[in-house]
Amino acid sequence: MATIASTWASPPTRPELIETLVSGVDRYNPNNVGILEDYLYHQIRSEEYDCLANLAILKLYQFNPDLYNPDVVINILIKALTSAPFPDFNLCISLLDERPPSANTDEPDPLPSLLPILTSLYNLLQQCRFPAFWALYKSDQVESLRDNYTVECVGFEDAVREVAIRAVKAAFTSIGSERLGTYLDLAGPELDAYIAKLGWTKDSSTGVISIPANPDNQIESTVVHENIHLPQLVKVITHAAQTA
Amino acid sequence: MSRKALWEADLDEDLQDVDLSLAIGNYGQNGLYEDAQHRIDESTLLAVQQQMAQQAAFSAIPDVVKRFIVHFHQAVLDNNLAEITVAYESGWNRLTEKFYAKTEWPEAEVIAPLVNDDQIFLILYRELYYRHVYSRLQPDIDDRFHSYENSCELFNYLLNSEGPVRLELPEQWLWDIIDEFIYQYQSFCVWRSKVKNKTEDELVMLAEGSQVWSSYSVLNVLYSLIQKSRINDYIVATQQGKSPEEIAEIVGEYGTRPLYRMLGYFSIIGLLRVHSLLGDFTLALKVMEHVELNQKSTFTRVTACHVTTYYYVGFCYIMLKRYPDALRTFVSILNFILRMRQYHTRSYQYDQINKTADRMYALFAICNALSPSRIDENISNIVKERYGEQFTKMSRGEEGIPAFEELFLYACPKFISANPPPYEDPELLAAYVEGPPVEPAQRHLSLFLSEVLAQAPVPTLRSFLKLYTSLDAKKLANFLDADEEEMVQQMMVMKQASRSVSRVGNEKGPLDGQVISTSDLDFAIDENMVHIAESTVGRRYAGWFIRNTEHAQRVHHALRNSALPPIPTKSAPHALAQTGADSKASAPRTGGQKVAWGGVKAA
Repeated sequence: MATIASTWASPPTRPELIETLVSGVDRYNPNNVGILEDYLYHQIRSEEYDCLANLAILKLYQFNPDLYNPDVVINILIKALTSAPFPDFNLCISLLDERPPSANTDEPDPLPSLLPILTSLYNLLQQCRFPAFWALYKSDQVESLRDNYTVECVGFEDAVREVAIRAVKAAFTSIGSERLGTYLDLAGPELDAYIAKLGWTKDSSTGVISIPANPDNQIESTVVHENIHLPQLVKVITHAAQTA
Repeated sequence: MSRKALWEADLDEDLQDVDLSLAIGNYGQNGLYEDAQHRIDESTLLAVQQQMAQQAAFSAIPDVVKRFIVHFHQAVLDNNLAEITVAYESGWNRLTEKFYAKTEWPEAEVIAPLVNDDQIFLILYRELYYRHVYSRLQPDIDDRFHSYENSCELFNYLLNSEGPVRLELPEQWLWDIIDEFIYQYQSFCVWRSKVKNKTEDELVMLAEGSQVWSSYSVLNVLYSLIQKSRINDYIVATQQGKSPEEIAEIVGEYGTRPLYRMLGYFSIIGLLRVHSLLGDFTLALKVMEHVELNQKSTFTRVTACHVTTYYYVGFCYIMLKRYPDALRTFVSILNFILRMRQYHTRSYQYDQINKTADRMYALFAICNALSPSRIDENISNIVKERYGEQFTKMSRGEEGIPAFEELFLYACPKFISANPPPYEDPELLAAYVEGPPVEPAQRHLSLFLSEVLAQAPVPTLRSFLKLYTSLDAKKLANFLDADEEEMVQQMMVMKQASRSVSRVGNEKGPLDGQVISTSDLDFAIDENMVHIAESTVGRRYAGWFIRNTEHAQRVHHALRNSALPPIPTKSAPHALAQTGADSKASAPRTGGQKVAWGGVKAA
């Protein structure tokens, strides 16, 4: 059965060609960067996500600074953002080596100005401060990120909502619809539709939404008893027998 | 043939007839010629001087060292692993202590006559020569460049000879070759990144030699060794239980040779290390896909390799926020080191292993503060002894940040950046010196701290929740002196911090895993009510039982092996009979042992 980690490490949507690149030595060949970049834009358009393939692009940039393409980097970071609470975003940043000021100044590099914004957005998601995330995301400060990048990333806002849903689902058994609305940046019929899509039910009189039971929101006090089997004692008994 | 010779002879005669100085004129040519003549003399002189210097250097080599080198060379020629091991592990180190504690070993060119100018042996000799320079002395830029060239020659010989080479070397040495290769690469990258204090010559050499110790060249060597030896196929085939014949078929002529197989294996570990140093923690674990992390793996035969592997795997897990996996990795290796301690005190690597172990205790403290769990009392106790103060601070959330910082910087790998400063462009270089980039270790530290900060409110929340079984959210917010909404968001953080991806059982590869709960304290929010549940652990007997059994065994053993009290002479016959009976009773196993032997053992 595919675990969450194995799906992350090798998503079922990954084409074979990309798999050979990600898992083989061809990942170091600068000539393959185009294939991986095309695949990134495919992910952007079709709501897919392949962290390891995107890390492979950053690896090529790390070793070949002349390949560096800031738009690609920003798109990779946008995709990684919504993988919270998993640390994909930081794993990507980790590969962005300090680069000497670029020699060609025909086009200003947008990354240095956008990186702090992306990092703030990531930190808000990691801290589950969803209302603050939406406030920052919609502020004027983030306009250029929205207009030039996230608008192209199909389903970006829904991906952020999924981050919030993951957090809510684990912590709550029921939640007020107003509160949930601020987490999802949805209200009224939009919120109702979203809740219906999740299969959650809302009490129309109180406005409280019940969240179906899942392993994370079902809690139980237990006493863990030690359970020792004979094989675990074999070493000590053998030793005793040998030295007796 | 004869015609040609005649023709040549004719030409010579013709030339002799021409007065050269007349035909060409005297444009100062004579002076140049004289100068050249002079230079030739000088170079001859230099060569002679060099030869004399080499002879002097040669005669300065102590006879015991000469004999050692001859003997060492013979052992390598014979592929005599036992003799090579003795020379490598004990001879070399003993002579280093005695003659070369503060100076270089004789240069390879000087000792060449001793080994019939055997180029392969000289490469191996230089491998040791430079390793000694790096570990005991300060390598200068020539040493750094030459050690790189020598490594290239060695790997070139191994990889690009016609077919596999016949050389055999002890596993420890093979590990050391790969380990040292990466160490020198890392050392070079760090040295190269410091632009200040470089001499003119060094700047020129760095500007011209950008391929020396490049990341690509290092990766190339490691991947080539992995591919040539087909080590991954070998590991998979072994795991599938294939027969030796089938495996031989699969791994081919290189992979069947221990030298290539081990180099391939160590190169995987080398990749784990290089990728970690470059900050690619995912790829670092991905290259370990086929390697099984258990005490039975091949790499555990070389302790240094075993320790290195677990250190880097554990560290990568930290950066992937998989703290339970990191903890398990450290516990496993630290227990191993504790058990092995008595065997390693004499090993020349003992210090290094101890240092790495201490850094892993620090990393253990970090992980345990971020993901509190009861895990291996033995290790936890040592951690409390060494890092108790930092651990307490780290367990308190935000105020512990300096402690996280301190331990992280102490225990993290020596990170490097993949690319050199722009030595080839003086203008950019000046800008680089003006505004130096953030050091790699600081970059990774700040990323790590951002994850730590995100879960900083957790310890306080935890301590409050522990007191209740259910509690109104507003009330809890009041206790915390916080806004209710803010507190609810922190609760979600706490929930996330108590879940982690972790290897549970038989997952394939170190990246696989499932989400597990890591905390004994759990909660769920029902609109505005927080319900809390705590898992408690019943009393544990097994560890206590085993420890005391072992203790009793040791006491028993010591008693049986200690000398009997002196026998009073008067009642000698009686006493003798008594001891005779005693030793008979315990005769089957201990009868033959001498008291002295027992005494040493008990001590």
